[in-house]
Amino acid sequence: MTDRPAIELARIEKVFPGRTPVRAVDGVDLAIAEREFACILGPSGCGKSTLLNLVAGFEAPTGGTLRVAGAPVTAPGPDRGVVFQEPALFPWLSVFDNVVFGPRMQGKPRAETDAAARRYLDLVGLSGFERHLPDQLSGGMKQRVGIARCLVMDPQVLLMDEPFGALDAQTRMQMQELLTHVWDTFKKTVVFITHDIDEAIFLADVVYVMTARPGRIRARIPVELPRPREIDVLTDPTFNKLRAEVLHLIREEASRARALAAGPAPR
Amino acid sequence: MGAGTSSTTGPGDSVQGRALWGLRAATVAQALALPLALCLLWEAAGRSGWMPEGILPPPSTVWQAWLAWAFADPGMGLNPYLGTWLPTVGYSASRVAKGFAVAIAIGVPAGILIGWSRMIARSVDPMIQSLRPIPITAWLPFSIAVFGIRDMGAVFLIAIGAFYPIVVNTTAGARDINKNLVRAARMMGASERQLLLRVVLPNALPSIFTGLRLGLGIAWTAVIVAEIVAVKSGLGYVLWDAYYVGRMDVVIADMVSIGIAGFLSDRLLLLVSNRVLHWKQFGAR
Ligand SMILES: Nc1ncnc2c1ncn2[C@@H]1O[C@H](COP(=O)(O)OP(=O)(O)O)[C@@H](O)[C@H]1O
Ligand SMILES: [Mg+2]
Repeated sequence: MTDRPAIELARIEKVFPGRTPVRAVDGVDLAIAEREFACILGPSGCGKSTLLNLVAGFEAPTGGTLRVAGAPVTAPGPDRGVVFQEPALFPWLSVFDNVVFGPRMQGKPRAETDAAARRYLDLVGLSGFERHLPDQLSGGMKQRVGIARCLVMDPQVLLMDEPFGALDAQTRMQMQELLTHVWDTFKKTVVFITHDIDEAIFLADVVYVMTARPGRIRARIPVELPRPREIDVLTDPTFNKLRAEVLHLIREEASRARALAAGPAPR
Repeated sequence: MGAGTSSTTGPGDSVQGRALWGLRAATVAQALALPLALCLLWEAAGRSGWMPEGILPPPSTVWQAWLAWAFADPGMGLNPYLGTWLPTVGYSASRVAKGFAVAIAIGVPAGILIGWSRMIARSVDPMIQSLRPIPITAWLPFSIAVFGIRDMGAVFLIAIGAFYPIVVNTTAGARDINKNLVRAARMMGASERQLLLRVVLPNALPSIFTGLRLGLGIAWTAVIVAEIVAVKSGLGYVLWDAYYVGRMDVVIADMVSIGIAGFLSDRLLLLVSNRVLHWKQFGAR
């Protein structure tokens, strides 16, 4: 790992304006190393998506500085691939055309990108489905297309916002295994957002635990489980120790949030 | 997943996997039963002398008139319509095609831009919305003054009439886009232009086709009005001319011709629509 972090957030704040402005995240400091698989774990509504959207460049922070590969983020771009919670594939394009959409927009030579698209579709287990339409695919398959269309752009970082959140438990586990496999082959910096503790520990090099809204990073927990990881790592004692640790942090955080919400005790 | 369900959210009464024109023999028979019965009734009423022939000629007379209009040798007799049906339909249809093409060429890009950009919407939409209540009939004097008694006048009226439903529906289609599709395109490096052409436009297509079908209906109304008043050929011209010389059989044959032409052009558009929107057939959302 190099000395400069791949993603660097300093005192990041995002307030959504409106009649009652929402302070979604406040004072987030985060440094994610190059080729690190980072999971950001937090309860729903704590500002995880907001954080990811800032890194992606979909929104601008209202305070703080944000750098990816040393350069300030000003707009979305192909150097930061995003996998959305709902797949966001173009329903009028075939699986293949969805995957080559990025390279086509950037005017990359066809021969090269077509070969790359086939390779990545194969990697995510979708060869043979090139001509299918997104509406013909299951939820898990759609997310695989979403992953392939990012990989084909060869981005510096991969940003994933609860990509498996809408899948059933079994598919979800398959997708987690698939993702670790993909990551072992093509090491990229990954920011993976989830509210699922097992998912975070199973996938991550480092788990970042967020506080309730306004979100901050509460703890940084390195996961020292060997790779490649298989599903039986879930019964590993180290896994269970980490799980207990994270659970404890979250309990503490939840009761703190409850106390805050309740306000000062009545007279 | 919606695969396997035959329901569709496509425009109008689209049907897939059926015969050409979306009709089957049984459906056709069912659809024709009522009009046929009414025709028989009308025929009987005409023959019994219960209805004066000069005002409402029976279907058989209309049919004879149409045969002469369509196939008779033009040089013969005093009837000016002999053998002129096909070119007459051709004049009207080509005016509809031209005016409709102009309406699409202006309405679709305008609708995409209005739906996409708030700034453009604020500067263009109020004008469109305030001109919209002016019916095409009210544009007639203006059209004649500007274009004279010529083809262009009809094309202009048709274009005006078809423009509104096209621009309004295209605008709605361009506005109704999933935010994450736009984000995905930007993330993949699409420029603003590519975003409009490759994402906003295809996303609006179902809605655009709804507008096209409404616009085509208005186009046929407009061509008849224009030909009655401002052009000396076509189905509208013959309609009014035949009325003036008391040829109600030709009038009714003309009306039926307009109906059939309108119906067939709508079916053609539906066919194109089903082809273009093939990706809608799996029907998720
Ligand atoms: N565009 C927006 N406008 C106003 N409030 C928003 C907007 N996006 C998110 N929020 C609010 O910010 C908070 C954090 O949202 P989000 O980042 O989506 O949370 P998470 O992804 O952790 O569930 C929530 O209270 C949400 O309602
Ligand atoms: Mg979220």
